[in-house]
Amino acid sequence: MILLESHNYIIQTTLAEKAIKPSSLDVQFVDFDGVRFRLSTPERKTSLLLSMNIRCWDELVNYGVHDILVREYGGLVKVQPEPEYNVSLEIDLDQIPPEGEQRDAFIKSISLLKRNALAAPFERGFREQKQLEQAGSGQGELMALHYRDEEVIYVQASPDRVTVIFSTVFREETDRIFGKVFLQEFVDARRLPNIQSAPQVLYTTRDPPLEIRHLPGLTDSEDIGYVTFVLFPRHFANPTVAESTISHIQLFRDYLHYHIKCSKAYMHSRMRHRVSEFQKVLNRAKTEAASVDRKTASGRSMSTFSR
Amino acid sequence: MSLLAPIICDNGTGFSKVGFAGNSDPSFVFPTAIATRGPAAQPSRSGPAVPPRPGHLASKRGVEDLDFFIGDEALANAQTPGYGVNYPIRHGQIENWDYMERYWEQTIFKYLRAEPEDHYFLLTEPPINPPENREQTAEIFFESFNIKGLYIAVQAVLALAASWSSNRVTDRTLTGTVIDSGDGVTHVIPCAEGYVIGSAIKHIPIAGRDISQFVLNLMRERGELATVPSEDHLKVAGRVKESYSYVCQDIVKEFRKYDAEPYKYFERYDGEHAATGRKYSLDVGYERFLAPEIFFNPEIYSSDFLTPLPEIVDGVIQQSPIDVRRGLYKNIVLSGGSTMFQHFGQRLKRDLKQIVDRRLDASSTANGSQLRSSGVEVDVISHKRQRYAVWFGGSLLASLPEFYSSCHTKAQYDEVGPSICRRYQIFGSAT
Repeated sequence: MILLESHNYIIQTTLAEKAIKPSSLDVQFVDFDGVRFRLSTPERKTSLLLSMNIRCWDELVNYGVHDILVREYGGLVKVQPEPEYNVSLEIDLDQIPPEGEQRDAFIKSISLLKRNALAAPFERGFREQKQLEQAGSGQGELMALHYRDEEVIYVQASPDRVTVIFSTVFREETDRIFGKVFLQEFVDARRLPNIQSAPQVLYTTRDPPLEIRHLPGLTDSEDIGYVTFVLFPRHFANPTVAESTISHIQLFRDYLHYHIKCSKAYMHSRMRHRVSEFQKVLNRAKTEAASVDRKTASGRSMSTFSR
Repeated sequence: MSLLAPIICDNGTGFSKVGFAGNSDPSFVFPTAIATRGPAAQPSRSGPAVPPRPGHLASKRGVEDLDFFIGDEALANAQTPGYGVNYPIRHGQIENWDYMERYWEQTIFKYLRAEPEDHYFLLTEPPINPPENREQTAEIFFESFNIKGLYIAVQAVLALAASWSSNRVTDRTLTGTVIDSGDGVTHVIPCAEGYVIGSAIKHIPIAGRDISQFVLNLMRERGELATVPSEDHLKVAGRVKESYSYVCQDIVKEFRKYDAEPYKYFERYDGEHAATGRKYSLDVGYERFLAPEIFFNPEIYSSDFLTPLPEIVDGVIQQSPIDVRRGLYKNIVLSGGSTMFQHFGQRLKRDLKQIVDRRLDASSTANGSQLRSSGVEVDVISHKRQRYAVWFGGSLLASLPEFYSSCHTKAQYDEVGPSICRRYQIFGSAT
C-alpha cells in the first residue's frame, strides 16, 4: 500500500453489513487528524445516524462546507447535528439503493464524509483562481485550516495558480531526520522526466514561506517544517482531476507520517537481519569446548567450569 | 483537546481483534496473516529487499517493503502469483517481528485510520510470554509508531475483566480460573489477583477445529453428506456446530428423547454450493448434543487424550496455592468461541461440583466424620461477550480513568528504555 485511501474503512464495512442485516449498534471510532465518528441507531434499527466531529469545523463553515455536504448528500444531512458532533447524516436503510453497484457507490460516498468536508477550502480556492484569472490580477484570501493542534494548512489562490502550504511538526528527532530526507526526495524526484507535470513542491524548515510570513503566531522552532505545493490550472481544471488532487493533497500529512513509519519499519528489519548475520559470525568464532578429562594425582577427575 | 479513544489490539494465533476502547465489539476481526512478495517459506537468505542501485537517493525507488496485504486480503491474494502467505504468530507468540511490524503498520493506517501519535494502545499477550517479547513489542510501538502510551495485558486477565459485564458478578475481582477455548487449543489458566499462576496452567488439545471434525465424522458415518460437495464438508460441519449444537445434561436421556420424537428434535440444514449454486439439504441429529460432549467425554473422539474438562479444571485448581483455591472455584470464566454452546457453563459447574463434593465426603469419612467442611462454592460464569471476551475486557479496562496512569508513556520509555515494559501495574479490580 503506497497511497492511503481517502475513504473510511469502518464506515464502509459497517454500512455494507447493516444494509444486508439491520441491527442496533453504537460505535465510536476515529479517522486521521483527530476526526471522531459515531455511528448509532438512536430510534430504530433501520435508521443509522453517522456523526462526525472535526477540529476545524468553524473554519470549514466559513469556507462553505455546508454547500458541499448538501451537494454530496442532499437530504441526508440533519439540520441539527448530534450534541458534541459537528455534522450528522441520517441514513435510512429502507431507502438505500438495491444491492449492486449503485449501493456500493452510495456506501462509498458516505464513507468519504471526512474527505468531502475537508475539500471545502480547496474547492473554494480553485473557484477563486478562475475568477482571478479573468480579472487578471489580485490575490485570493489566505485560508487557514487548523486541522491539528499545532499544524495548519493554508490555501491561497492567485491568478495563475493555487498555493497550498502545510506546516508540519515532528515530535521526535528521528522522525525529523527521516522527514527531511523524505521531503528533499520530493523536490529531487520532480526532476525525473516522467513526473514533470506533478505539482511543484518546495520545502523549508523553520523559515515560513513568503506567503504566510506576515501571519502572527507562527511557531519558531527546529521541529517545524513547511511544505508548499503549487497547483497549476492543469491540476484542477478537469473536475475528475480536481477531485483526485483534493483527495491526495489533504492526506499529505498522514501520507508523510505513514511513510516515515514504513521507512523505520524497513530499517528495523534490515537491522534485525544484520544482527542475526553477526550472530552467525560470532557463533562460528566460538571454540569447541575442550572435553579432556583432567585427572588429579590421586586419579580423581577434576571438575572445572566449561566456560 | 478531548482524548481520542485508546486502541485495543488483540493479536491471536488465528485471528486479530482490533478496535477502539468503549465499544462493545471489535471494529475488525481478521486473520493474523500477511501476504508478501516472495515464497511463503520463511527464511529468505538475503534478508529484506535492498533497492538494486546505489547512488543518488532519487534512483532508489524500491517499494518492495510496502507491497503486502494483511487479513482477509492476504488470504484472498494467497493464489496470486508472486505472493506467499505468512502467519507471524505461532502458538500465541510472535515469531517473525519483521512481518508483525508491517502487519501492525497496515492495521493502524489502513484499517483503523488512526494517527498512532495521538493514541494510547492496549495490547495483549499470552500467559507466560517471555519478557523479551514484551520489550520487542514496546520497541516497535514506541520507536516505530511513536505512540503516546502502552499497556500490555495478559489475555486471561482481560477475560476475567470481561466477566464483570455479567450481572451475576457482584465484586470486580481479578481472581478466577479462565477457560479459553479458541480454534486450535483450549487453555485452563488460574489467575490470582491479576497475576497468572504459571506453574498450574494446563492445555487441552481439544478445541473448535476438533469439534467441527467430530461433527463431520458423525454426519459422514450416517451418510448425510452424500449430497454435499466434498469441498463444503468442513464448512457445513462448522455451520452445524455453530447454529445447532448445545450441551445436554445426560446423554442417555437425550438419545431417548431424540428416538421418541425425531421430528421434534431433528433439524434440517439447507446449503448452497458456492461455485455451482446447486442446493442441498441434510438432517442434523445426534451431533447437536454430541459435538460439545467431547469436552466432557473426550473418549468419544480422541484415543490419546482422555481426561474430561471438569477434571482438568479441578486438577489446575488443586495445583494452585491453597489460599486462592476458593476464589478459583468460585469464579470460573469462559472465553473464546468454542465455549459459546448453550448450557456449557451449567454442565461444567455440575460436573465440577460433583468432583469437589465427592472429595469433601471422602475426606470427612476418612477422618471419621468428626469435622465437616462447610462446602466449597463452585460457579461458572457465562456472559454475552464470551466470543471476543479478551478484546472486550481490554475495551472495558481501557475506558477506566486509571488506565492512563497505569500505562507507560513515551516519556517514561525514553527515560528508562524497553525494560520498562517488563512490569505492568494491575488495575481496575475493586479488591
